[in-house]
Amino acid sequence: MIRVQDLSVSFRSPVLDGVNLHAPPASILALVGPGASGKSVLLKSVAGLLRPDRGDVFVDGVSLADKDEPGLAEVRKGIGMLFQNYALFDYLTVGENVAFPLRRLFDLPEEEIQARVSERLERVSLPGFEDRIPRSLSGGQKKRVGIARATVARAPILLYDDPTAGLDPVTSQKIYDLIKGEQREQRGCVVMISSDVAGVLTIADRVAMLHRGKLVFEGSADEAKTSVDPLVRQFIHGLVEGPL
Amino acid sequence: MSGSRLLALPARVGASLLSLADQVGGMTLLLSQALKRLVPPRVDRYELVRNLHRMGVQSVPIVMATAAFTGAIMVIQAAPLVERFNAREFVGWGASFVTFREVGPLLIALMFNGRVGANNAAELGTMVVTEQVDGLRALAIDPIGYLVMPRIIAMVVMIFMLTILGDGVALIGSIITGDLLLDVDPRTFLASAIPMLGPWDVIAGLIKSAIFGLMIAVTSCYFGLATRGGAPGVGRSVNASVVAAATGIFVADYLSTFVLG
Amino acid sequence: MTEASATLVDSGPSALGRLMAPVSAGVNDIAGLFRLLGRTLTLISQGKREQGALLEQMYIIGNRSLVFMCITMGFIGAIITFQSAVQSQRLLPDLTMLGATFIKLLVRDMAASLGAMPLATRVGAGIAAEIGSMVVTDQVDALRMCAADPVDYLVVPRFIAATIMGTAVLIIAGAVAILSGMVIANGVFDVNFHTYLNFSMVTLGDVGLGVTKMVAFCAAIAIISAQRGLSTFGGSEGVGTATTRAVVGSSFAIIVLNFFISGLGYFFVPS
Repeated sequence: MIRVQDLSVSFRSPVLDGVNLHAPPASILALVGPGASGKSVLLKSVAGLLRPDRGDVFVDGVSLADKDEPGLAEVRKGIGMLFQNYALFDYLTVGENVAFPLRRLFDLPEEEIQARVSERLERVSLPGFEDRIPRSLSGGQKKRVGIARATVARAPILLYDDPTAGLDPVTSQKIYDLIKGEQREQRGCVVMISSDVAGVLTIADRVAMLHRGKLVFEGSADEAKTSVDPLVRQFIHGLVEGPL
Repeated sequence: MSGSRLLALPARVGASLLSLADQVGGMTLLLSQALKRLVPPRVDRYELVRNLHRMGVQSVPIVMATAAFTGAIMVIQAAPLVERFNAREFVGWGASFVTFREVGPLLIALMFNGRVGANNAAELGTMVVTEQVDGLRALAIDPIGYLVMPRIIAMVVMIFMLTILGDGVALIGSIITGDLLLDVDPRTFLASAIPMLGPWDVIAGLIKSAIFGLMIAVTSCYFGLATRGGAPGVGRSVNASVVAAATGIFVADYLSTFVLG
Repeated sequence: MTEASATLVDSGPSALGRLMAPVSAGVNDIAGLFRLLGRTLTLISQGKREQGALLEQMYIIGNRSLVFMCITMGFIGAIITFQSAVQSQRLLPDLTMLGATFIKLLVRDMAASLGAMPLATRVGAGIAAEIGSMVVTDQVDALRMCAADPVDYLVVPRFIAATIMGTAVLIIAGAVAILSGMVIANGVFDVNFHTYLNFSMVTLGDVGLGVTKMVAFCAAIAIISAQRGLSTFGGSEGVGTATTRAVVGSSFAIIVLNFFISGLGYFFVPS
């Protein structure tokens, strides 16, 4: 479904260095790694929000490298994204935030938009939050509004940038259950970054680990847990001793 | 319902007056706290030098460019009137008077406000939201002596020096434009400027500049330190600081024109 | 000796590079601004706009700047009238032409140029801070995820609103400057209102030149501030830097544009 080929991105210093990665359809790929290892940059590159210096990303077989902005917009219709800091539009209400992709991407009757917005908000356990403004919400609530907005257009590909960062364990688990449940129903392709390795391994089918801009591990969740690579072992199990 | 709408306007006016009083009071308080640290001087030497360099030296190109264009524009604007009244022998005096006394200090201050004042508010605001100011307090370092004093001194000193530089460059800009546009010989220009322009005209302009500098310094430090609420908070503070300082500059300009006149 | 010449050769290109770096950065910067202006104008000409967003921006920009601009230009009118009265009394004691001359200069130039500087502070800083915080909080990327072109969605309404409302506010503030000058002339120099309010020196060319300046300055403020906002990077400090760059960039652009428009005006718009 998503194939990343020899992807290199640098700002002032290299951030991603020759990353190859594959995310199959109908699965959850967890993207883990220490801070500043390039996870968010990789996710933004998959959505075509960043131009790589080298390499390419194929979304459903379509290459992003030779696309201009309108062409990329076409590809992005099939992608829903949750940003690290939610990126809710602070001048719109919660309801308008969730409705935004529907209004921009499709030509739907108003009743259908409203129905789908309230269905989404109920699904993320925020029923009746349509008229609230993002500023009045807690961090966990904003995350859930972000998830509602990312999933409202029923895109086959979903990218989540650390959906449980800074949340308590109970809320985190609720969000994991939500993501997993949605993915099962839609049979979609999910790529999610997480700094909560233990939590994300409970729902992920596959795991990829980045370290200093390079891919150091790719395999199933079980392979990740039993890996003997010292780097992977230390990170996955949160050990103090090791190369990190 | 209609009652609350009736009261909405006076309530808003009252609220903005209260916040204005709050801000002016806060700035006055900050200034008085800073002045207290002048005797005996308790100023961080290293921070002072760093700020003098950063605020002064780096503003030189923009001030020179502003001044050169301003000098030229003064002559271009005066040109139709000069031709109409056939007053070529007054061009030098007119252009240099307006530049030295009013427009030079004003435009340089507005530029300085945009560049140095905004930067200063952003830097202090970032220090506040990233808890660096609390960090200083925890180390028993006085934020006013360490952060505010060096910045106020550096801004007042540097805007003064930059205005002297700007006056010179603007004069050259006026002379060149006068020569090219109105055929006013540089000697004629200076012959009209020098005798009619008293030293007081230049000094009054420089005093004004220093007052503008103090205004910008206190305003930007106050708004920077009053920052709340993350990255958007810093943006808001910078915004509020530049606008408040610009208003302050115009008010101070008005008052000083009468006092120094 | 060889060592010294080697360092000389070595430092040659880097010294030249250091000297040229700001120049090439400046050229790139100006090219980027013109590209954004081009994109904006193309999108406007294609005419697919959200009326709501435009009206909202017009309200925000007008509301944000009207009172502030009336205050600043009120002071400017008083200051300039005072200074020119004092100075012209040194040459001739007659102040009958004071108002006429001041009004001519105000219409032809000062209402636009002296007004646009504080306007840049108010409107430019606002636009840059708003768009800049949307960039650093990923809201601009979220727009792009929904096929909303940031230039179309954010820059176009602000550009149109700032150009229209900015010009309107500058005209109103210019009128306030005339009124405050009139009050000072009457109160301090005993020039009566009728003598002061003399528009006989103002030509149609002056009005055209003044309005051209206003439109150009307001458009420049909008494009420069939007570009600074869109190129924000790196958290709260980035938003602060973008705001600073917006204010300085627009103020400087106003001065440079004024130089060129006034120069052209001198030759082509006789008074």
